[in-house]
Amino acid sequence: MGQTAVEIQLNSEELLWQLRRRQQLFVLDVRAHEEFERFPLEGPAVTAINFPYFEMLEVGGQDDMVDSVVACVERELDHRLPKGSPILAICAKGSTSELVAQGLLRLGYEANTLQGGMQAWGDHYDTQIIVDTRDLGIFQISRPARGCLSYVIVSGEEAVVVDPLRHPTAYLELARARALKISAVIDTHCHADHISGARTLAAESGSRYHLHPYDAVHPLDMVPAPFAYEPLRDGQVFTIGKHQLRVLHIPGHTLGLVALLLDEQFLFPGDSIFIRSLARPDLGGHAEEWAPLHTRSLRHLLELPEPTTVLPCHFSTLEEGDRAGLFQATLGELKRSNESLARLQGSTDAEFGQYLLESLPKPVAEYVEIKRVNTGLVSLAEEDAATLELGKNVCGLAQAAPAEKRDEHSIRQSS
Amino acid sequence: MSTAFDKVLDARGMNCPMPLVNARKEIGTLNPGQVLKVMATDRGSVADFQGWVKVAKNVELVAQETETTDAGSLYVHYIKRTA
Repeated sequence: MGQTAVEIQLNSEELLWQLRRRQQLFVLDVRAHEEFERFPLEGPAVTAINFPYFEMLEVGGQDDMVDSVVACVERELDHRLPKGSPILAICAKGSTSELVAQGLLRLGYEANTLQGGMQAWGDHYDTQIIVDTRDLGIFQISRPARGCLSYVIVSGEEAVVVDPLRHPTAYLELARARALKISAVIDTHCHADHISGARTLAAESGSRYHLHPYDAVHPLDMVPAPFAYEPLRDGQVFTIGKHQLRVLHIPGHTLGLVALLLDEQFLFPGDSIFIRSLARPDLGGHAEEWAPLHTRSLRHLLELPEPTTVLPCHFSTLEEGDRAGLFQATLGELKRSNESLARLQGSTDAEFGQYLLESLPKPVAEYVEIKRVNTGLVSLAEEDAATLELGKNVCGLAQAAPAEKRDEHSIRQSS
Repeated sequence: MSTAFDKVLDARGMNCPMPLVNARKEIGTLNPGQVLKVMATDRGSVADFQGWVKVAKNVELVAQETETTDAGSLYVHYIKRTA
């Protein structure tokens, strides 16, 4: 690799750092339009334009990619690109964007390329500390590009992993670095938006996989999971060192959804309450039947003490993170700031059920197949798995977007 | 399934954008009406060739096939020079 190539590479960790700090980021995405639309780079201060590299080849008309980039930018793109601030070139795997960045550099632009492309960004894992005392550790492990969150709860040398994402490396590395023994791996439910890493992690760490039996059946196919698992039940308690993790069955998003309550202090609500939204009740194909269950379960969670820290399963934008980049809030805060939760408190069951049904986002075609993978009915090669779960989760209600705008407005006014 | 072709471009093992860059060059050496068969291992080439023929002049995507081999998936594109 030449010296220039090293200088212009931005890796996923550096990208996340910039996104978290809301740095202005100008993106030139050279993937096909469909790929750009399905999985764009998103962030609070990202401006992106999409110009596929094969169009650059045609507009530039040169045999060489870099020569074509130069000619194409001179002809068609010059007025759309910023001068004097960096342009981040992005493609699927990072090799084409590197050539694009070289073309931009030749023209005098400041340019970088995302190392490994959107594939690397989609597969990037980030580990943050929620609690790290001598006696208790809680780690939030996320895939920032996908808005998926998972947790490792630690006491002494023992660790319990909640909702691990597809690649087991981040969890195994944490366990190795801290000399931990993973004693249990729990899926709060059968995920629809991403492929669970729980069975792989349980196998690789020699621990057991726990799931509620209602979610060990595909809700549309009505075919039971062929794998072995430990059935979770309401009221069951896991002991981790001196700490107690209690299982609460809260059907709604799925029939077998559980929340986990650690020491009556930390709530892992699975897909029920998010920071700015609530989970959708329709991914099992029975929205009208499941919406009343969801309503009842959410009311049940609202009875917990207000200082309870809520550690959600998803986020929609990085802006939902706190100043330290952690996705957490107390139940009391959420009762006031989460528009859907506020509505629940002021509605009858019937009114809220109706609101849920009116707030459903479009179904995502891939989610039916992802549930098949997670119930062990289908197994996929790495490349197919990556393609299937590409893009950001859509597990929350559709009203999240306007609520965000209102939030921003109120934050600006109050600060 | 067999699609007729006049020339083969072996782009196996090549990363994006080389399968398309090289195919574009090869197409220029064909006569109008002739077909280039491109063999690629880059999965992204499937969507890219589809997008490319929409913006390129005088080319048509005749067929695309995926073959499963011991070495992984092979993505085959048949492109005709139309003029």
